[in-house]
Amino acid sequence: MARILFAWELGGELGHAMADNALAAALRARGHRIAFAFRELKPLGYLDDCAAHDVFQAPISLTEGKDAGLPFTFADLLSGCGYNRVSHVAGLLGGWLALLERWRPDMVVCDFAPTALVAARALGIRRASYGNGFSIPPRLTPMPPFRFDGTMEPARMKESEARTLANLNEALARLGAPALESLAQVFREVDEEFLTTFPELDSYGSRPASGYWGPGYNIETGVPVAWPAGSGKRVGVYVRKRVPQLDSLIAALCEQDHRVTAFIPDLEPARAARLASPRRRVSERPIRLAPLLRDCDLFVSHGGSATIGTLLTGVPQLVFPGQYEQYITARRMEQLGVGAWFTPDDDDVAQKMARVLGDPSYAEAARKYARGYAGYSPGEQARRIVMRIEEIVAAPSPWTRSVAGGADAILAPTSPGTKAP
Amino acid sequence: MARVLCAWELGSGLGHLGRLIPVARELRGMGHEVVMVLRDTSVMDVTRSEGFQTLAAPLLQSRAEKNPSPLNLPDVLLNLGYDDSRALHGALRGWQSMLDLVAPDVVMADYAPMALVAAGIARVPRITVGSGFALPPPGDPVPALRSWAAADPKVLQALDDRLAARLRSAAGPALQGVAFSARSFFEAETHLLCTFPEIDPFGPREGVEYLGPPGNVNRGLDVSWNGADGARVLAYLKPGAPRVDAVLAALASLDAEVIVAYPGIEAEAAASLSRGSLRVFHKPVEVGPLIAGASLAVFHAGPGFAGQALVAGVPMALLPTHLEQFLVAQRVQQAGLGEIASPEQPAPEFREWFARLMSPGPVHEAAKRESRKHAGHSFAAAAREAALRIAALAPA
Repeated sequence: MARILFAWELGGELGHAMADNALAAALRARGHRIAFAFRELKPLGYLDDCAAHDVFQAPISLTEGKDAGLPFTFADLLSGCGYNRVSHVAGLLGGWLALLERWRPDMVVCDFAPTALVAARALGIRRASYGNGFSIPPRLTPMPPFRFDGTMEPARMKESEARTLANLNEALARLGAPALESLAQVFREVDEEFLTTFPELDSYGSRPASGYWGPGYNIETGVPVAWPAGSGKRVGVYVRKRVPQLDSLIAALCEQDHRVTAFIPDLEPARAARLASPRRRVSERPIRLAPLLRDCDLFVSHGGSATIGTLLTGVPQLVFPGQYEQYITARRMEQLGVGAWFTPDDDDVAQKMARVLGDPSYAEAARKYARGYAGYSPGEQARRIVMRIEEIVAAPSPWTRSVAGGADAILAPTSPGTKAP
Repeated sequence: MARVLCAWELGSGLGHLGRLIPVARELRGMGHEVVMVLRDTSVMDVTRSEGFQTLAAPLLQSRAEKNPSPLNLPDVLLNLGYDDSRALHGALRGWQSMLDLVAPDVVMADYAPMALVAAGIARVPRITVGSGFALPPPGDPVPALRSWAAADPKVLQALDDRLAARLRSAAGPALQGVAFSARSFFEAETHLLCTFPEIDPFGPREGVEYLGPPGNVNRGLDVSWNGADGARVLAYLKPGAPRVDAVLAALASLDAEVIVAYPGIEAEAAASLSRGSLRVFHKPVEVGPLIAGASLAVFHAGPGFAGQALVAGVPMALLPTHLEQFLVAQRVQQAGLGEIASPEQPAPEFREWFARLMSPGPVHEAAKRESRKHAGHSFAAAAREAALRIAALAPA
């Protein structure tokens, strides 16, 4: 039995928590002990089977995004999340080190958790990055831009990388840990990189030879909901209530004879009442999607992991990206011809919905894409990831090594600034 | 040897750390182990470099539509994310795991309501420290924050009930047997108020112990007065505070030596604001060595600074920016030790106001009188006393 800590440090939405929870559940079923260190603890309320796990707050900056310019690269992202000040990075790192020193994981699974990766590296703990393309940047120096709605001067890219790396290294020095040569090193020196997407959906578009593990998504759990009876188109809705066009979306759904199943977390009772009808089912909990997708005509979402899962069953898409990563996914969907998407200002919800439902090319393209991965199974992906994690934790961990008097450089838990002999 | 978990969950600013560190140092000096669990990761570098293992406290997200005038402390908590029972459930689980992980003998809470609840469930002895704001005065329902504004007890009761309902829902069926109420977020075996009754927002009151401010960990710049005599003004200002530009202009025009701590601005901005006998610093400055020689303290009515000005007998020109500061400022004004420029009232003629407050007069006399009353206060002794009281709670 191993102790495995899941770290989710950056990025919003339920997707991270749900992906981590699915993998954690599989590991726990095999007898491993699990801890979650999550950026947000609220999603625990939506997760099944996590009552036995330890749960912790991930150290995050309270001033995220403040005074930060538009991010172009992963270095820019880090800079906006505390890496622009040495004391802040040192605080974040110190928080992760303390948690790892106390909980003593045999392995850390880092889902968009760069500082956790750095801390695990400093302590010599086995670690893997786990996530889709956006959260695992290509291992290049300087880190390449992920934006494609603007260009970045190479000089600025280098400068941003250098500044971020210098702050991180000074923080590492304060904590008595060795410096890094590049930010890419954080992602290169891992025991495994679980890059859970496909090349066509990869946020970075292309990257040096990487193993794609395929997307993780969970369409098999949740409350069972059936399509309402009738003859209209079947539309699945999985959005957050802060979508700017939510009222237009509800209106568009109500105007047509569509049959709808919807999960909109924390939807106000008034709006829920407006949407709900015998033709439109509104669930208060995540829905088990798999049985619905067999005959779903359109899936409306943010472009998160559920979106990918529904695409791989051949369902056309309408995407309301809530942040940049989802915007990239939306653009990839557009390139594949499988759907349409909205900027926060677009208010042609009814028109786009009618277009994607009415033009058979979207459904054809979605089915074609799904056929290309017909043999792919997220269950098999999960099984392989579990096997690989068990392979990694089978090797001795630093905690057992240090008990045995091993020579690994582990920072002394209570003497900052010094290395254990 | 006891293990003490120091929890700071809500609130901002340096005041919390300024209390926790001196007490934690004393505890360590007595041979106890201290683990910090803090809200703000940007200060975790400070506590770690002090040698205290420091972990992140569970965070709640503030409500999007905040009530701008919360009526009582339960209302304040509802504003700060406690109105969301799912989020509260996550925070409770976070604190429960933290207590399992650290296995403390005592929890010392500085504005950490959820830590108090979790420690109560786990039957870990609790002690609160603070400047008074985070500990509501006794009463059922929890009394209104503004003693001068009538509040309907039914409305207050409804707020208490709402908060208690959120907690019951967050705790879930496993804890159905526990009798939760709005007071669950404030209960502890001992309440230590690290302030003076004169500046306790809800003071003076029964059922608490006033230790006075413990220690003084500004970790600020060492600055000293230049002039041998003449009037001296010590100002502590926050960038972006209302009227701060007018305040700075008035300070520059005073016939006095002026030191302004203005942490958060750029170094160049501080340099360009400094002129003549006015010096502006872009980092915190060490207040201790300066305050005794000052003729006037100009600040936003933070309780830590107010305590130091009170002990030193320095009149206070108070510029509160939020409710906690306003309540402290009111107490100072009631005691005749200073005056308030409320952001909700028309601004005074600042130059004239400062000049009057720094000249001999009734405020000066009251400040000196009050100072003599607290002449024996030792910041270090208060920290030591707090540490002793905390350690005494640990099961033998």
